[in-house]
Amino acid sequence: MPEIRVTPLGAGQDVGRSCILVSIAGKNVMLDCGMHMGFSDDRRFPDFSYITRSGRLTDFLDCVIISHFHLDHCGALPYFSEMVGYDGPIYMTQPTQAICPILLEDYRKIAVDKKGEANFFTSQMIKDCMKKVVAVHLHQTVQVDDELEIKAYYAGHVLGAAMFQIKVGSESVVYTGDYNMTPDRHLGAAWIDKCRPNLLITESTYATTIRDSKRCRERDFLKKVHETVERGGKVLIPVFALGRAQELCILLETFWERMDLKAPIYFSTGLTEKANHYYKLFIPWTNQKIRKTFVQRNMFEFKHIKAFDRAFADSPGPMVVFATPGMLHAGQSLQIFRKWAGNEKNMVIMPGYCVQGTVGHKILSGQRKLEMEGRQVLEVKMQVEYMSFSAHADAKGIMQLVGQAEPENVLLVHGEAKKMEFLKQKIEQEFRLLPDAKKPRLLHGTLIMKDSNFRLVSSEQALKELGLAEHQLRFTCRVHLHDTRKEQETAVRVYSHLKSVLKDHCVQHLPDGSVTVESILIQAAAHSEDPGTKVLLVSWTYQDEELGSYLTSLLKKGLPQAS
Amino acid sequence: MDPECSRLLPALCAVLADPRQPVADDTCLEKLLDWFTTVTEAGSSLLLLQENPCLVELLFRVLKSQDLSSRILSFSLRLAGIFAAQEDCFQYLQQGELLPMLFGEVGPLGGAAWTAPAVRSGWIQGLRTLAQHPSALRFLAACGAVDTIFSLQGDPSLFVASAAGQLLVHILDLAMRGPAEGRCSPQACDWPACAQKIVCHIEDSLCSMATPQVTQALNVLTTVFGHCHGLWTQGLWVRLSPLVARLLEKDPVPASHSLVDLLLSVARSSVPSSDRGLWETLAQTLSHLSPTQAGPLALGILKLQDCPQALRTQAFGVLLQPLACVLEAAAQAPGPPGLLHGAAGDPMAVDTLLCSKSACVGLLCCALTHLGLLQPLPQRPSPWPQAPLLGAAVTVLRLCSGSVAPTSDVGGRLCAILVGCGRVQRAALDFLGALSQGAAPLFPLQVLKKAFQATLRWLLSSPKTPGCCDLDPRTQLFLRELLPVLQKRLCSPCWEVRDSGLEFLTQMTRHWGGQAGFRQALLASEVPELTRQLLQDPESYVRASAVTATGQLSSWGLLAAPASPERPGAQQKSLLVELLHVLCADSEGFPRRAVTQVFTEWLRDGHADVAEDPERFVARVLQAASRDPDWEVRAQGLELALVFLGRLLGPRGSHRPCAVALPEAAPLGTLAQALQVLCRVQLFEFAFRALFDCDRPVAQKSCDLLLFLRAKAAPCGSPQEAGDSPTVASVEATLQRWQAGEQGQPLGYLEPGAVMAVLRSIDLEGLRDTLAESSDHVEKSPQSLLQDMLAAVGVLGENEADCY
Repeated sequence: MPEIRVTPLGAGQDVGRSCILVSIAGKNVMLDCGMHMGFSDDRRFPDFSYITRSGRLTDFLDCVIISHFHLDHCGALPYFSEMVGYDGPIYMTQPTQAICPILLEDYRKIAVDKKGEANFFTSQMIKDCMKKVVAVHLHQTVQVDDELEIKAYYAGHVLGAAMFQIKVGSESVVYTGDYNMTPDRHLGAAWIDKCRPNLLITESTYATTIRDSKRCRERDFLKKVHETVERGGKVLIPVFALGRAQELCILLETFWERMDLKAPIYFSTGLTEKANHYYKLFIPWTNQKIRKTFVQRNMFEFKHIKAFDRAFADSPGPMVVFATPGMLHAGQSLQIFRKWAGNEKNMVIMPGYCVQGTVGHKILSGQRKLEMEGRQVLEVKMQVEYMSFSAHADAKGIMQLVGQAEPENVLLVHGEAKKMEFLKQKIEQEFRLLPDAKKPRLLHGTLIMKDSNFRLVSSEQALKELGLAEHQLRFTCRVHLHDTRKEQETAVRVYSHLKSVLKDHCVQHLPDGSVTVESILIQAAAHSEDPGTKVLLVSWTYQDEELGSYLTSLLKKGLPQAS
Repeated sequence: MDPECSRLLPALCAVLADPRQPVADDTCLEKLLDWFTTVTEAGSSLLLLQENPCLVELLFRVLKSQDLSSRILSFSLRLAGIFAAQEDCFQYLQQGELLPMLFGEVGPLGGAAWTAPAVRSGWIQGLRTLAQHPSALRFLAACGAVDTIFSLQGDPSLFVASAAGQLLVHILDLAMRGPAEGRCSPQACDWPACAQKIVCHIEDSLCSMATPQVTQALNVLTTVFGHCHGLWTQGLWVRLSPLVARLLEKDPVPASHSLVDLLLSVARSSVPSSDRGLWETLAQTLSHLSPTQAGPLALGILKLQDCPQALRTQAFGVLLQPLACVLEAAAQAPGPPGLLHGAAGDPMAVDTLLCSKSACVGLLCCALTHLGLLQPLPQRPSPWPQAPLLGAAVTVLRLCSGSVAPTSDVGGRLCAILVGCGRVQRAALDFLGALSQGAAPLFPLQVLKKAFQATLRWLLSSPKTPGCCDLDPRTQLFLRELLPVLQKRLCSPCWEVRDSGLEFLTQMTRHWGGQAGFRQALLASEVPELTRQLLQDPESYVRASAVTATGQLSSWGLLAAPASPERPGAQQKSLLVELLHVLCADSEGFPRRAVTQVFTEWLRDGHADVAEDPERFVARVLQAASRDPDWEVRAQGLELALVFLGRLLGPRGSHRPCAVALPEAAPLGTLAQALQVLCRVQLFEFAFRALFDCDRPVAQKSCDLLLFLRAKAAPCGSPQEAGDSPTVASVEATLQRWQAGEQGQPLGYLEPGAVMAVLRSIDLEGLRDTLAESSDHVEKSPQSLLQDMLAAVGVLGENEADCY
């Protein structure tokens, strides 16, 4: 089997800046190109030096595949394509292609224009990068070139998220990206067919956790929002433009409808139409329930959720506001937070991860006196809640996927080393050490019966123990070639043809004029009746049966014309 | 160190050393190390440790702890390295035997923790940082670290392996910097023991049968010759070059990539001045390697400043071969001889081209790229075969598009391989673009974009007829054929194609808008009309590009259809209305941003429609921009206001930020009139509100604008000064409410006098300074980091694995 080489350029044993380089049968594919939001220097991008030092990037890499739109999977893409200089194709699903630039644009604004960071990509670079994208459909086999093909499978997690199968000849790798094996309110569960890849590269964020049902968390969320609104408080939910925001919108919209609540729900300016537009557009990617109800009513056309204007923040009475950015590090969400933080009736719900240094991170770790710009101190009296809605497969889910795909090998990435070690053992226990009795397995060996004992040993061992000599069994075949030249010249032509075609095999031209490829022996002889025809005598051992048959069929097609 | 940080440090060290308190976030540890690096760079590490004994205590506790996480251990190794980089601090740590315990065999090296790549990486990085002085060298020798580094060169973690190689180079350089500096004797007997050991190891590796070991040795040497500049490197090359040359005798040549890197690194160093044999080795390598492998070496040789002509000719031949083969294979009849004379004959290049599609594509792409890189360099070969190369690039493109049918066997096979191959097309177009200094039905999108770029570069570099300001006849002919193609592209179903087409049109118009030939050809085509239609495109990127393109066309008067003579200029006017509509109604930010940019340019350049009634124009734009949800539109709106201000009161000074430029004061009469106008266009409502915008760049822009205005007015006093009038008080009260975040209330109409009074009462300089700090300066402070790490203890259990 040709070597499959995996080099994590980021997110090998951590979370953030996912980027994995896979070399399979001479093809190099980059899986995801993410950024780490916790850093604001070079460390936020994957270490591309490994691939850039080997000369021109585009000649080295055959393609880039992006699994989904989260920035830890696509955030470095414009940097890689427009600043590092990758010029080849980038594959992603259609929803990812549509949503990716919005999130990149959102992040660029925070990084460059609000934090004043230099050496970051521009809007034009995001656009130019998106022009290199080729959209793929689920289950569509896309031919990257003559040898390399890729295929996308549904991954749940977020709208448009996909797992990818990468195939070259008979070798294949499956990369999961982030996935979720349980359906949620707007997305279905990940699914893959029994593709039996040589290698499955799977995320392992929740490698040791069995997650409780998301329903419980959702109930909890609604209860908290409801209580706050009932007592006249305001609820702030900092979110990123797309993804979790829509999920929570559906949740609140349905709840408001059911409970007939009147308190207004607002969504931060400029995002509502754009974001929900894409969710409407990609209904086929959502779960069955949404697809079914779509006929009567589009779930993403919200009745209760309205666009926010900054003047509303001062209105008296309860309200719920979704505002960007998600970590309370700048912009509108931070502005509203400052306004509402002093009132204990209010609540802020953080529905996702916050990097160190952001206000979101500080309040989640319980800090209540925050230093703001100009040495002002902000006292946080409002309630602070954290709710994890992140949709990753848990330990059970990962095992389930391994069972579905039946890979030969599993590689764990995007998780913590210690937890991976635990999951590694679990997978080995379940899929290797205790083989399924129902599954047929092929064994080669010799059964020795001696002193009423049975032993299965290797053939070499058996020969040695029994003092026997090995019999050689060879297949033979004749191939007729039209060639008026002498036998020796025919042999030379056969040699150079095979040498150019069979790159991975040892092809030799022996002094006696015969040609060998591994154990296969080829001799050229004159035809007894037709001087314009040569006979190739081909013989091979049964171990090389496959190669022997391939070779004969190759020779039967004739030799290339001499140039 | 800040006293507040000193106060927090003991508690943090206690947390770090406590295995029951996992640190949630790896980034925190990295940032902590960054901070310690800054602190030790600014002052004495010894003093730091003496004033903060908790730090040494932390290192001891880490060593004693049994079940500490690998990241804390790795962190501690790196931290110790940072401290020990200063020799006195190194001695201090040595007194406590701390360093051997951390980096010696009794440390993590011998324990179970060593299995974690993070620990091995921390060990290497720690040593890399501390190896700065002779004491460190003695320490490395005494604790046997060098042998460990040798073995880490083959580490399964690529990052550890690569760091190990770099550490070896660093140690070698450090060792040679001392007593042996200035000597270049190849006899290493008088070299320091540590250096001798490393060189012997490299020699052994070069002789190894295992390719990975050869690669390691070559990589280490490449770094040596790339980074170390002592005379000793010449001696090192004399000693090692026979071993390197021996690699060429093997078939296949092992680690050919690394070998090429090494030879080029040596050729760029000071070695060639002392060893002419190097050129011989380079020539041999060129002929031994396959055409694909030899490409980068050939390019590297041609880039060298000083190298024998024969070698340069050989190297250029390697780069030309593949294209010469293509030219020959595609020739319908035997072409004029000697185009790429003598290069086509190499059978190896032909074999590589034809043996498989991937080999052919790889070789052609490499050759095209390398020649493209070489083309603009002053040291490129002379004479440069411009015409044959151009012919070859076009032939490659024609083979790819299937528009050439070679009769020869090789040509036929090449054609079959290259037809529709996007990668070769991209490379050939890039090359074609590069050559400028001196379309098929199923184009991949990227290819089309490159075709536009290449065309533009060719067109812009085409020679101008002397004494004539118009385009030369050939370019005009080409334009007439180009515009129908562009027209077709503007109707493409792919947004990428439409967008690239519009970008191309904008750039072409920017350069040639004034040239009669271009104007004539463009106006005769349907391109302007199509461009205008694209203002309604469903894709926002395309709408934005259409706005920019129509803006540019209109600036040159290229948008008016001459078809309606009774209403001259009617269409132009309606473009202004149309763009205003985009600014007010488009749901996406990109087109609105583009409109404000176009309007700013129009105002700056005195576009006819704007010049008619600039005040009304500015009032309408500011009204729309001030309410825009996109901060870039608001910021651009203020930029437009600045241009307007410049027109009213005089320029802003030469390209410097107006706040710094201190513009000259305007005459009183002009100022009073200008202020009246500015009040009428409601600039101040927008600008004052923008001062407290939640998006920093908007507030900055507004601050600049108001400072500029104040400076212009400063020496004049102000008309109808009304410092204590009720209007001023109410404006100030409103501004205070805005600053507090309540922005609901409008200012209403302002009198110029009140404006000036308010302008003087606001601390604009103070505000500008606050805004100049990036909004996350608090986040980045070390206190904030320490506080966050302490606060996170025990809280983030559930959150830690959660991500996005």
